[in-house]
Amino acid sequence: MKKFLNISLLSLVALATLSLSSCKNEIDEIFDEDAVARLDKAKAEYIDILTSNGGKWQMQYYANSNEPGYVYLMTFRNDGSVTIAGKNEWIGYVEGESLKVPTYGSQTSLWEVVTDNGPVLSFNSFNKYFHLFADPEDIPSLSDEDTDETGYGHEGDYEFDLMKYSNDTLYISGKKYGIDMIMVRVDANVDDHVYMDEVVAMADSFFNAKIPQVYINLPNDTRWIVKNGASSILKMFREGADEISTAENHNVIITHDGLSFMHPITLDGYTIQNFIRQADGSLLCRDDNTTTITADDLNKVFTIRTFTWKGDTTQMGGEFADLFHGFKNELNDYGKRKLTSVQLSYDNTKECYAIAFGCLYQKRTFYPTYYLTAEFVNDNQIKFHYTGEFNDAATIYGEKCPSMVGIVELLNRAIFTLSTSSLLAPVDIKMSDSGNTGSYFMWRL
Amino acid sequence: MKKIQYYISAFLLMAVAAMSLSSCSEDKLGPTIFPDVDESLDPTSYTYQLDKFLKENYLDKYNLTFLYKMPDVSTNMNYNLVPATYENSIDLAVLCKYLWFDVYDKVAGEEFLKSYGPRIILLVGSPAYNPTSGTEIVGLAEGGIKVSLFKVNAMRINDFNMMNEYYFKTMHHEFAHILHQTKTYPNEFNTISIGHYDSNNWQDRSEGQVASLGFVTTYASSEFREDFAETIANYIVKTDEQWNRILDLASRGWASGDEDDVTSQFFCYYYYPNNDVTQDLVYVSEWNVFTEVDEDGTVHKYWRNNKDSEGNRIIVYDVEDKDGIDGVEAILQKVQIARTWLKEAWGVDLDELREEVQYRQTHYDINELRKLVTDIH
Repeated sequence: MKKFLNISLLSLVALATLSLSSCKNEIDEIFDEDAVARLDKAKAEYIDILTSNGGKWQMQYYANSNEPGYVYLMTFRNDGSVTIAGKNEWIGYVEGESLKVPTYGSQTSLWEVVTDNGPVLSFNSFNKYFHLFADPEDIPSLSDEDTDETGYGHEGDYEFDLMKYSNDTLYISGKKYGIDMIMVRVDANVDDHVYMDEVVAMADSFFNAKIPQVYINLPNDTRWIVKNGASSILKMFREGADEISTAENHNVIITHDGLSFMHPITLDGYTIQNFIRQADGSLLCRDDNTTTITADDLNKVFTIRTFTWKGDTTQMGGEFADLFHGFKNELNDYGKRKLTSVQLSYDNTKECYAIAFGCLYQKRTFYPTYYLTAEFVNDNQIKFHYTGEFNDAATIYGEKCPSMVGIVELLNRAIFTLSTSSLLAPVDIKMSDSGNTGSYFMWRL
Repeated sequence: MKKIQYYISAFLLMAVAAMSLSSCSEDKLGPTIFPDVDESLDPTSYTYQLDKFLKENYLDKYNLTFLYKMPDVSTNMNYNLVPATYENSIDLAVLCKYLWFDVYDKVAGEEFLKSYGPRIILLVGSPAYNPTSGTEIVGLAEGGIKVSLFKVNAMRINDFNMMNEYYFKTMHHEFAHILHQTKTYPNEFNTISIGHYDSNNWQDRSEGQVASLGFVTTYASSEFREDFAETIANYIVKTDEQWNRILDLASRGWASGDEDDVTSQFFCYYYYPNNDVTQDLVYVSEWNVFTEVDEDGTVHKYWRNNKDSEGNRIIVYDVEDKDGIDGVEAILQKVQIARTWLKEAWGVDLDELREEVQYRQTHYDINELRKLVTDIH
């Protein structure tokens, strides 16, 4: 009996405690408003953010982790419409162009901020230039394997959780596949087509297929080699490390201002993600303001043995201009010959560099050629040394055209400072006489 | 004493429990957790005309929400889907009204769809692909209340056969599901083709082979309920020529080189090489057969591509119908069961329905129908 009483009393205490705790609702009042009101408020706030100041945004869109990101320009309006503009090769494919041709497309469709677990930006009517990444149709294979992606497509999102707004940047996350992306406010007066053209031009200026590799230059003076830049899927490995076993692929997006990795990446303890294009064409990391992406030192680029540099005789000055002017006159005097080209390349037989002058005479071109070695003075300076060798054509033309010989002598005499319009894609190099900067000659790859 | 104590304990326990419950019931209720639906439309909205059309013609009239702005969460997230284009949504909204809702209003009375029609129609831009089977979903009826129409972005408004196959047929197919999900059709229907359904490989069957087994389409041969919905939908939307073609296929014999391989091609004709009946027969598709009719009405069939060594045309023979099923009779039986069920269970005349749909689907002017939306101010 006593045992039963004890059990009963214990049960009473337990139940009373339970009932008290279950009824104590004050601690639940963490928020001033209920969930629905807060959601509606958040929805209204995001609608206002999206449509205010002209409502123009740049979305940095990633369909998946295996493809580059693509910039879209979006103009949100209060009437529920949104104009989405882009320029990429997939739009080209939709428009029946080659998959390799970035093509501009702009279409107006619908948008809405809906409430789910939180505010969600939904592009809820089909926009052929944007939803192409969510469309489950088969897509042309970019690799050798002809995979059937029917039912999958790119597997991109068109609904996005609105996570945060800060400094004119919206942080969003794909609703189905969960990829984090950002949207950055853009001036309402920006012309969509011009803007997208500039983005593509930016991409073209970054990675030129003629430059086989570029470098991430970390603050600790180590370098990471970057290959396949033109694909926007960067193959990266530490300089000196084994490429096959250590290289990793990272996809990037090229924006109007620079380049961003899809995710922050850490190299030698330095975490990097966003790079801004500098006036010299290099990329500077916005996250640490120190890390850069450039091509190799210009004198090394200039002396890559597989390159053939073509002289631009419309871009020269000082002594170079005088000598070439004289050379052309001398050729004209020598049976109305014409200078058609100037090339600098490495001669594997002679194991030195060769400068060849293309001289046209009656439909036939002769190439008087002189041989030089190259010496690095510092990172951006180079000194040529004439070996004294030349070919048979040079023997003849050298007698008739002393200015041509003068050009070779100038190359042999001066130290040249090299510069370029883009440190990341130095496909043009200006060679200036260090002792007389007004004397210069332009080479193009 | 023991008994009393028990009652007291029990009473106290109940009292405390009741107190705890009653105290909880005093919590103040906040606003509803469901969002308030603002039914007023904004005339400045980009979609005002369509929204107003949908409100007046679907929501107000049938208590039906016509969803053309696709929330992905409303669909099966296992599929990769995209929304419909706004323009195609307008077209399908007016076509649904003209070819589906207005037809039932006319044939079955206005109360019919108000009572039994779906409560949600969802438009989806893409098909829902099943990559493993290589099939695609073009329509879906769920729980008797929701109909999803897929592949809206692929609409070619001037391609009658395409519109008929993917959209008009789908409307009636899915609505047939809604109806039988509400009132069961006679079990007798399921017995007609029992043993001949193939839910796994229906997509690999040929239309002639399944017609001969008593199915109007390959999809109808997947299972009972799809057979039922397909029978009704095809009977309603197929033109006389198309329907008679199904019956013609059903009347023939079909064979393939490998009867055990469901993916093999089936043929209804064959010939002997060089007209030599001692050689192995060769199956031939009907596209390679041409027919001549004598003055006395005798029909001769020949292989189109060649002659024998003596210059005679190669004679083509009909494949013998060995499946033991009268395909035509089976199809017509199914139609009759559906006809009777629609009449008795729903008061709907299937043939009147068909006649109305047949007229409308060949006489509509999409530009005029679009004005139902674009003329709204």
